[in-house]
Amino acid sequence: MEQQQMKTNAVSMMTAVNFSEMKISSNPAETLVAFSIGSGIGVTAFDPVSGFGGIFNFMLPDSTQATGVDPGKVPLMFADTGVPFFVKALFEQGAHLDRLKVVIAGGAHIMDQTGMFNIGAKNYTALKSGLAIYDLEINHEDIGGTNSRTLSLEIGNGSSCIKIFGQAEVKV
Amino acid sequence: MKLEDIVEQIDLLEPVPPIAAQIMALTEDPNSSLEEISDLILNDPALTANLLRTCNSAFYSLSRRVDSVRDAISLVGFDQIVELVLVNSLSTNFKKELVGYGLGERELWRHAVSSAHIAGTLADRFGASQSKHLIYTAALVKDIGKLILGRFVAFSYEQINILVHSQGHSFNDAEQEIIGMNHEQLGELVAKRWHFSKKLTYIIRHHHLSDEAARQDLETALVYLADIICMMMGVCTGGDGLCYRFYSGVLDQLNLSEQDLQGIIAEAGKNQQQVEVLLNL
Repeated sequence: MEQQQMKTNAVSMMTAVNFSEMKISSNPAETLVAFSIGSGIGVTAFDPVSGFGGIFNFMLPDSTQATGVDPGKVPLMFADTGVPFFVKALFEQGAHLDRLKVVIAGGAHIMDQTGMFNIGAKNYTALKSGLAIYDLEINHEDIGGTNSRTLSLEIGNGSSCIKIFGQAEVKV
Repeated sequence: MKLEDIVEQIDLLEPVPPIAAQIMALTEDPNSSLEEISDLILNDPALTANLLRTCNSAFYSLSRRVDSVRDAISLVGFDQIVELVLVNSLSTNFKKELVGYGLGERELWRHAVSSAHIAGTLADRFGASQSKHLIYTAALVKDIGKLILGRFVAFSYEQINILVHSQGHSFNDAEQEIIGMNHEQLGELVAKRWHFSKKLTYIIRHHHLSDEAARQDLETALVYLADIICMMMGVCTGGDGLCYRFYSGVLDQLNLSEQDLQGIIAEAGKNQQQVEVLLNL
């Protein structure tokens, strides 16, 4: 009975990662999920050897552009301050950067939201610059458009899933 | 599908408590007084109890216990009390699951309260403090039409989706084309049935700003802006995603730069903790 219960728990263990947050785990029973990503971008990174992986979910490209908040208190709100924070946290847990499989999803825009107001596109550019500093390649991406997305990472097998309402889930 | 069948469903909604409608009316009336509003709250014991419990919660960290409605207003602030009362009175319908829009239980509610919070901040910032309660309430209830249209969208989602993604329709234009009515129009009918004020009804009807005249209306424009900010932030956005039109002219009118927009989003992200308190009422 107890074993059965544990098995049930193992299957259903899901941890939400809100915007401006990250979560890192090596628990093979855990799935990390960033729900309803809009113009922000969710980033999954997984090291298959150490078994550590995480999700980082940011909203804005550039901490120097945002007034009214102290980026030191919310580094994970921004691509430029969030990427180093996330990468460092993974590294400290024993993940090797050259083994990380990186998947990204989000960066959507409102219809006709072009040019300077297209924050989704700016997020994408800022994220790529941030990852390039660590020579991190993006293994798979689903970026732009007008859909909101849900991105998850199964720690047990390192699979990332991208889900758009009304469409089949994409597993990579 | 007959439009009458859709409109008939309005009767299936939980009626809005009379106190919510009365408070909305009072807050839009420049001649109303604090006493009138506090007397109105006092007439509803359950609401009073809930209000006092919230004001005495750890979140407000007040220096002393609040034991009356007047006390609550003076310690927590009038704006906050009105918001607490409205959120408390309007939540029942909004907490339901909306299958057609891909929203689980409480998700539309989370979106509504978050956008209302942002709208209130925008009202202060853009010199609309006098209509702050109207703007807050409108942002809270703007999607009321979705509560009914959801089940019809569920049947037609694929057709709507084709119009949106292959022909560039906005989601509300596609709703209208396929179902014969969109959630703004249906929201207007609900608002009229529930005797909402003319202005509140107008904002509900035009909150996606398809109508050019609505883009010139400050209150409607601020509710629109709060809504798109919420979509960009990804606060419980459903199957309609970000499939609504962006009007950069509205931002120009408000003299809002790209940096300002990023600042508003950052601040809204920071304030999400306050929203969580309202959501847990």
